[in-house]
Amino acid sequence: MIGQLEQLLGQLDTLRVRAIEELEPINTSAGLEDWDTRYLGRNRGELKSLSSVMPKLSKEERPIVGQKINAVKSELERRLNEKREELKQRELLLALEQERIDVTLPGRMLPAGTMHPLSRTIQEITDIFVRMGFSVLQGLEVETDYHNFQALNIPTDHPARDMQDTFWVSPGEVLLRTQTSPMQIRTMEQLQPPVRVVVPGKVYRNEDVDATHEAMFHQIEGLLIDEVCTMADLKGCLERFVHELFGPERRLRFRGSYFPFTEPSAEVDISCGLCDGKGCRSCKYSGWLEVLGSGMVHPNVLRNVGYDPKKYRGFAFGVGVERIAMLKYGIGEIRLFSGNDLRFLRQL
Amino acid sequence: MRVPLSWLKEYVEITQSPEELAHTLTMAGLEVEAIEYIGKSWGDKIITAQIDHLEKVEGSDHLNYTKINTGSGQINVICGAPNIQLGDKVPLALPGAQVGDITISETRKFGYVSQGMLCSPRELGMGNDHSGIYILEPETKLGQPLMDLLGEIVLDFSIKAHRGDLSSIIGIAREVAALTKQPLRLPEPRFQEQGTPASDLVKVSVEDSELCPRYTARVLSNIQVGPSPAWMARRLLAAGLRPISNVVDITNYVLLEFGQPLHSFDYDLVPDHHIIVRRAHAGEEMKTLDDVKRKLTPEMLVIADPTGPTAIAGVMGGARSEVSDKTTTVLLESANFKGGSVRRTSSTLGLRTDASSHFEKGLDPELALAGTNRAVQLLTELAGGLAHPGVVDHYPNPVQPRVLDFSTDDVEWLTSMKVTQSEASDALNALNFTVAAAEDGKRMQVTVPTYRTDVTQEADLVEEVIRLIGYEHIPSTIPDGPLPEQTIDRWFEREQQIRNLLIGAGLNEIVTYTLISRTRMVKLLAQTDLASASVLLRAPNRSAAQEEARIQASNTSTATTSFDPHTLPAVALVNPLTADQEVLRLTLMSNLLEIIQENSKHNKSGLRFFEVGRRYLPAETKSQLPDERRTAAFALCGPAENTWLPELARPADFYDLKGVVEALLSGLKIRRYRFTPTQHPTFHPGRCALLELAYENESGDEAFSPIGVLGEVHPLVQQRYDLPHRAYLCELDLEHLYAAVPQQINYQPISRHQELTRDLALVVDQRIAAQDIQDTIVRHAGKLLHSIALFDVYTGDPIPAGKKNLTYTLVYQAQDRTLKDTEANELQERIIRLLNEDFGAVLR
Repeated sequence: MIGQLEQLLGQLDTLRVRAIEELEPINTSAGLEDWDTRYLGRNRGELKSLSSVMPKLSKEERPIVGQKINAVKSELERRLNEKREELKQRELLLALEQERIDVTLPGRMLPAGTMHPLSRTIQEITDIFVRMGFSVLQGLEVETDYHNFQALNIPTDHPARDMQDTFWVSPGEVLLRTQTSPMQIRTMEQLQPPVRVVVPGKVYRNEDVDATHEAMFHQIEGLLIDEVCTMADLKGCLERFVHELFGPERRLRFRGSYFPFTEPSAEVDISCGLCDGKGCRSCKYSGWLEVLGSGMVHPNVLRNVGYDPKKYRGFAFGVGVERIAMLKYGIGEIRLFSGNDLRFLRQL
Repeated sequence: MRVPLSWLKEYVEITQSPEELAHTLTMAGLEVEAIEYIGKSWGDKIITAQIDHLEKVEGSDHLNYTKINTGSGQINVICGAPNIQLGDKVPLALPGAQVGDITISETRKFGYVSQGMLCSPRELGMGNDHSGIYILEPETKLGQPLMDLLGEIVLDFSIKAHRGDLSSIIGIAREVAALTKQPLRLPEPRFQEQGTPASDLVKVSVEDSELCPRYTARVLSNIQVGPSPAWMARRLLAAGLRPISNVVDITNYVLLEFGQPLHSFDYDLVPDHHIIVRRAHAGEEMKTLDDVKRKLTPEMLVIADPTGPTAIAGVMGGARSEVSDKTTTVLLESANFKGGSVRRTSSTLGLRTDASSHFEKGLDPELALAGTNRAVQLLTELAGGLAHPGVVDHYPNPVQPRVLDFSTDDVEWLTSMKVTQSEASDALNALNFTVAAAEDGKRMQVTVPTYRTDVTQEADLVEEVIRLIGYEHIPSTIPDGPLPEQTIDRWFEREQQIRNLLIGAGLNEIVTYTLISRTRMVKLLAQTDLASASVLLRAPNRSAAQEEARIQASNTSTATTSFDPHTLPAVALVNPLTADQEVLRLTLMSNLLEIIQENSKHNKSGLRFFEVGRRYLPAETKSQLPDERRTAAFALCGPAENTWLPELARPADFYDLKGVVEALLSGLKIRRYRFTPTQHPTFHPGRCALLELAYENESGDEAFSPIGVLGEVHPLVQQRYDLPHRAYLCELDLEHLYAAVPQQINYQPISRHQELTRDLALVVDQRIAAQDIQDTIVRHAGKLLHSIALFDVYTGDPIPAGKKNLTYTLVYQAQDRTLKDTEANELQERIIRLLNEDFGAVLR
């Protein structure tokens, strides 16, 4: 009898080893199911067949064999599950591998549009002044002689009219504005102080076009009127403007100038960014670049709009947008702006 | 204005280097545009020399063979200039010298060796005179570097329009003296007078003292017209003028020196020796010095004699009384004419002269006498003139110096600079203002020099004080006054919003010239007839019939329907720069197509552009301001991207364009709109739509108004622009678009009740517009329809020919309860029945 028990246990061991060996190389679900049926099958599985001898065993032997069978069975089941999991993983991987794509191919991009560098520059400049409490207004491009000239202290037959060659729609009456300054008049005609506005827009000059001149270009006018406002405020605002736009290391220089609608007037230069003010080709060896004209609003202009120059004072300035954009982006040819070449637009 | 430094030094000590001086003046408002060093490039290669031998070159019509004495030897030079004579002293460029762009070297011409070159003023960089060789003074030492003799530093000033007084060397010397704290040394003309008094020799009648506040006349006899001395010629050259003869040169010299224009008449050519200053008579004509016959008008002031006009006051003299080499007696005019009148006359005649540009800035009448005396001195010294005693001086209202009340508070009021009374008066004194200081330590009475016609009020004095003290002393502060309320118009923000939405749709912004030609705009019209052209003038606020009538009125063509492009009404310029830019644009579409055309030469894809700008619709008359309509326009042409992905490499079509419009509307939260098929001369007749926005009309009903057009560009138009693909174009009126943007949006709670989804597949006739079907569904479904989406459009088997299948997904939902299936089904059935009645639609 002892021999039979020994033999049975030996058979179980052999079965276990053989089952494990066979399980190892299986790599398909079908093979795995075969294996499952062959060893663990409820009806004709080999383990089942072996356990069919149980009734022939003695009472003492039965639990020994029973335990052994259970141990082998649960081990095989564990291994089967592990294998099943492993195969599932492998098959998923395989399936995913077949879906591999070339991630280096270009994406389905609708190329982003671009804002024109002049619009962008206008936005940057007006943003700076909006942060200082200015509102942004627009004006008319076709203006009256009164608003473009006379109200700005430039009477008919005044030589200052030569500073700006004018396109006339109706001589002496209607013209294409030569500057954004007529909006100073229109704004003050509409509003009572305090006034803080910036006015971007197109202006026109009847001048031959070259690398630095266009017959149509853009300006931004600034105007601040209050009971208290001096040239020191003008300086402070413009310093902040230049520092925000070009960087805090740039220096400003105010010098005497003449505009019929400001008194005193000041031309504003900034230190050249290429040579840091030491002098180079781009600043014509002066170290400085002209950026804008400015001054205190002329008392005659205040009187023309019905403001009392003894009560109110203020400053005005005018910036050329193309000039600023050219300095900012290092553009040497003004006609690029009206050329609208995609190869230019997409860079900026 | 070109100022030779050596000339300036006669009147004021220059203590700074030219660069330092230029900086000082520029900072104070007298801008130096350039510093020119005449002779810097000459080195020792251009020397003084003398012509020892002169003979014609055989076989040449103009060349001379010369032997030139260099002081240390003799060389041969071939020279083509007409003015050289034996014994002349001349500038000689030796081999190796740099003359303009060329380097002189030994050459061979007509068998002669030429070992150098004689130079004209222009070749030396001394002005524009190239009529002959620069002849040096007879006393010139030979063989010395020319630079030692003629080297000069010239400051080139930009004179501002209000400072006529600075258009003179003495004016600039005054500024230099004030700014560098140096004394001023003015010339004091001294001369002998003899013979008959001038008042017995000439009669002056000024009929219009308004336009001629002062007229002085002097008479000089025994004048010998001839060349000017070399020193004067040299200065004129350096200042940019060409020496002509002593009499002309002296008047030019005094103009440069004092800024007072002078005119010399040949005394014997003025009938009766009677000068009459009057307005021209209507229809009068005269020939000016430049030999041009000028038509005069009563607006113009002339200098006349009893027989007629003989000069145009302040502009140019007349040929009839011109000084010539036969002249022996000169009538010297030194007058003051009103700037505005001179300016008007010179611009009417299209004749700008040195004299007119001086007068128009406004001159000091006091200058007339100083100028004439200086000229008389020079004429007696340099032209042999005998000065007749006295001046005939018509000056009925001598100018009174202006006196202004001023205070240091005025400086602080405008600049925040605190200056003391003595600082202010020192600055003003330095500029020749006379100051009487009050005892309060602040106020002063300031007498303005008569030549400072620009200084009329306190603000002007503030500028004088601070530019003398230096703008760098103005402090810097941030305005701390009350913040004004924010504004009246939001158009800048709105336009930026449109830009951002269109950029988001992948479009590139362009900014183009608003100046265009009528022909360039008419190019947009497939047929150029009256009705088509009127479309260019259309706007949401103008009816087509109105515009057609308008063009009809300006159209000269006899046939009623044909149309001449040149009569297209537009805001036209009187003085356009080019014929291509004669009017302001009526549409943004021309520019867009032109930019696409230009870019298509370099780009196969990405031709997607927009512009936000204005159309300019003319008013009834030219003196009224036009209607500037804020407009956005955009265009697509060809594929968005040159790529391997077919959906992006596909050329744009109508629905891409419409998608951009819909994205724009959605970004603006405009929800009630529709597209209706339309005809437009720029577009394909079957692929063009109006965008219409809903509004409530007076009776509270929903109505639609058009705000723009979109479509496929007509093949004929596309051909004209040579476009590589079919192009799609849209133009929208922004003012009407924004009128539809909701001012206030109220949140609708998101319903927690269940949605019921029903699909609806319909077969309808091809020609039925999907929009009409959808409008009908929406109208009949009422509030329970939460959303509707068209998700399939199909034609072809098994749908019968001429029919199409439209499939919608309808989502029903109630705010307040869970909808029953039966409710949705009933609605659905009702809709189907109505669609069948209205459109013959059947379920598929």
